[in-house]
Amino acid sequence: MYFYVQSRFSLLTADGQTMEPTVGDLSDPLINHTEGQLFLHEAFKIIVEEVLCKGTDVKEKVCEWKEPEELALLLDLELREKGEQKEKLLQRVRDVAKYSVKTSHPRFFNQQFAGVDYHSLAGRFLSEALNTNLFTYEVAPVFVLMEAEVLRGLRELVGWTEGDGLFCPGGSTSNMYALNLARYRLYPEVKSQGLWSLPRLTIFTSPESHYSVKKGAAFMGFGMDNVIFVKVDDGGHMIPEDLDEKIKLSKSQGAVPHFVSCTSGTTVQGAFDPLDRIADVCDKHKLWLHVDAAWGGSVLFSKKHRHLMKGVNRANSVAWNPHKMLVAGLQCSVLLLKDTTNLLKKCHGANASYLFQQDKFYDVNLDIGDKSVQCSRKVDCLKLWLMWKAVGSTGLEQRVDKAFFHTRYLVEQMKKRDGFQLLREPEFVNVCFWFIPPSLRGKEKNADYQNRLAKVAPVIKERMMKQGTMMVGYQPLGDRVNFFRITILSPLISQKDLDFFLDEIERLGNDV
Amino acid sequence: DVFLQRSMSMILEEAVKKATDVRQKVCEWRSPEELKELLDLELRDGGESEAQILERCRDAIRYSVKTTHPHFFNQLYAGLEPYSMVASFITDALKPSLYTYEVSPVFTLMEDAVLRKMVQIVGWEEGDGIFNAGGSMSNMYAMNLARYRDFPEIKELGNSAAARLVVFTSQECHYSISKAAALMGIGTKNVFVVPSDKRGKMIPSALEEQIKSAKSEGAVPFIVNATAGTTVLGAFDPIDEIADICEKYKLWLHVDACWGGAVLMSKKHRHLMKGIQRANSVAWNPHKMLMACLQCSVFLIRDKTRLLQRCHSARASYLFQQDKFYDLSYDTGDKSVQCSRKPDAFKFWLMWKALGTRELEQRVDRALAIVVLLADVGNLINGIKSAKHGCSGCGIYDERNRTLKKHVAPVIKERMMKKGSMMVGYQPHGGKANFFRMVVISPQVSRQDMDFVLDEIHSLGMDL
Repeated sequence: MYFYVQSRFSLLTADGQTMEPTVGDLSDPLINHTEGQLFLHEAFKIIVEEVLCKGTDVKEKVCEWKEPEELALLLDLELREKGEQKEKLLQRVRDVAKYSVKTSHPRFFNQQFAGVDYHSLAGRFLSEALNTNLFTYEVAPVFVLMEAEVLRGLRELVGWTEGDGLFCPGGSTSNMYALNLARYRLYPEVKSQGLWSLPRLTIFTSPESHYSVKKGAAFMGFGMDNVIFVKVDDGGHMIPEDLDEKIKLSKSQGAVPHFVSCTSGTTVQGAFDPLDRIADVCDKHKLWLHVDAAWGGSVLFSKKHRHLMKGVNRANSVAWNPHKMLVAGLQCSVLLLKDTTNLLKKCHGANASYLFQQDKFYDVNLDIGDKSVQCSRKVDCLKLWLMWKAVGSTGLEQRVDKAFFHTRYLVEQMKKRDGFQLLREPEFVNVCFWFIPPSLRGKEKNADYQNRLAKVAPVIKERMMKQGTMMVGYQPLGDRVNFFRITILSPLISQKDLDFFLDEIERLGNDV
Repeated sequence: DVFLQRSMSMILEEAVKKATDVRQKVCEWRSPEELKELLDLELRDGGESEAQILERCRDAIRYSVKTTHPHFFNQLYAGLEPYSMVASFITDALKPSLYTYEVSPVFTLMEDAVLRKMVQIVGWEEGDGIFNAGGSMSNMYAMNLARYRDFPEIKELGNSAAARLVVFTSQECHYSISKAAALMGIGTKNVFVVPSDKRGKMIPSALEEQIKSAKSEGAVPFIVNATAGTTVLGAFDPIDEIADICEKYKLWLHVDACWGGAVLMSKKHRHLMKGIQRANSVAWNPHKMLMACLQCSVFLIRDKTRLLQRCHSARASYLFQQDKFYDLSYDTGDKSVQCSRKPDAFKFWLMWKALGTRELEQRVDRALAIVVLLADVGNLINGIKSAKHGCSGCGIYDERNRTLKKHVAPVIKERMMKKGSMMVGYQPHGGKANFFRMVVISPQVSRQDMDFVLDEIHSLGMDL
């Protein structure tokens, strides 16, 4: 009955010798905790100085640009047989800090995250130090309860008094989960039988939506072609009438529309799809409505701006990434669900008996691991919870309002200067604009104007990075050639930084 | 910032130093209702003072399980690795996202260096890979790539562009295979479960039977998942023989070595994964036996055709502009299904630099040796039988009161947790009643700790 005898054989090496424990003296631990802790202590000092102090100081560079080959040599990446001394390792810590981009710097505007919050940072450090795995109550008692409370708080802002949800390793995963739930709700047999015997399912989203909808569709077996793009207006908002048309068209082609993903805060333009009207269409056709609010969700904290997401309570699911506008720090991504039928667990559960034993001595409903498709799952709620406790919902609201306020300021300033051409009036905190260098001004009618304009942003970007003065992203969109997209969200910035931004673009681009 | 300094001191004292002290408790058990009250979780409009926040941090530490404690054996990870912890702290402070070279120059290069080294250790001349948010995701990637390789049109057209695809795995595999099949639209019924022998190893002849059977049904086999280090028994599937079969039927061979991959670092034990270089892909989680901080999960693929990139890419123009001023092959983001991605490779890189391959090897050898010890000693205690499983697990079977066998483990578990003396997992398995699964990972664990575990299980269950 027991494995005793058989397992002895598994100890045999290939040549039939039994393996004796000959590795040192097993009476003593092999590790020196004091040394390790000392290293932690000293490394922390470097982190504070190099990353947090210098990294947020406008007198320091945003980035220390090096070509990949050069950087590889500087870092001495090779992994060797022997270890290294503490001093050497501390130098490595310094090097990593030096050559990394300072994403908390007041002049880092490149992505949809920026700035720093010390409470969420402490929360992150603490999460790492505890190294907790969030699958069961027995291993993660504090955080199972905490995650539930944070999700409840976020759901309340959406307008739901009940519901479900989970922290995911990124908004892309949240979007996939929503897709999976919608599919499972409609055809629960898909879990065991796959898509083979189902009709062709179609997904609707706008071309300005995040690419994770397409990636998710491919990954999950729907196929990218079955993601149908709905027309958007000039501002990048999904047109509900066209959604209705496309759904009808899809049905007439024999497909089964099952999911609409609308975006609250599109990646480039920051547009908010009209949720109420889209919900009308979804209600009519009985489709799952998912709101990808990974970027824009945080407006829900603001009484002044939450109207942008009016109707969100009618959705079935919402994706929201506090690591973006709320400065919680990567990763902090949430999926919120209106469902109260335990759909998440039913859809994802595999009931692994080595983790989710049913004879535990506490309420096993607290073992939430089976709601996830992941096994090991990090604690991402502490950073948000601690920050929320520290500043309160009011504090987070102020942060959001301030971002909008700064955006207004920047736009006003931009309008006063020659050479800055907005794509359109921003709705959110994404400001999209072209910088027209003097050499191109007045030449809009020229045949090669667009081509020449497209080359401006890349040149300015290269210059800013090599000089390390700031970072802002550019991209084309549809038929609009390369333009800059500045996202204003960091609680660290002031109007001076925005003035600097405009000055710097001019300085870097005037001779292009 | 004063708050940060204070919180860090506390973290180092309470969450790091005390947590590894054998004289402290492993856990401070509280019932959920009690804990909710103690923690005061509610989120309010108003903020709180620094002092209050520090108290909250203290509470979070106090009531959390000390996974780095020498008597924490509950899961397939344990111990404290300070170098990888430092790396985590750095990445948390820098908060980079690993999609492009421009935003994460250092970490892009580092991930590449670590992957190359791991590819070398697996035994491939060339390869590709990526760090994922968990072994479950790595296993999913394997399935996605295998599917894409055989039927690239599925990316655009969906599963229905192909006939019914089937997956083969052993009955002892990790449940993520099943979850992956569901998520990817393949269906859990299309995961054919191949029986394992008494040691938990997949039976190759049974695999071949199942493949033939699937084909005769008109289904299309496309991937075999072999496990190197099964979750409960720590068994290693016979990779060479399985590879023979995969080659014969032209199936993708994926080796889920999330748990057992660490043996590749050991000259003495790597034979357990003999044949690994014949795999098409490998999943390996350094956050398990090698003790890197969570998450640290790797997916490796034996491929030179940029399959990973082609399979996953969506070429978003706001991130992967084609007119950047540096070599675009350094923008690795499109290899992933994730968008924002943490630089988990750094945790492994820094610790590897600090310790060197040799020390990592020594740790693996030691962990495996301690378990042998445990198995030997366990059988000397009245009423307990211990048996070494696979490489680094050990089952502890409580023989007392055979008829009540299944109730013994849960009661002992409850007692150990309420006492806070240690944490060991138990589970039923393959018709056997609950038994304890002792997993030894951390080099801080020694002979005394093994004695302690056995004595404790014995004494906690004395009255049963």
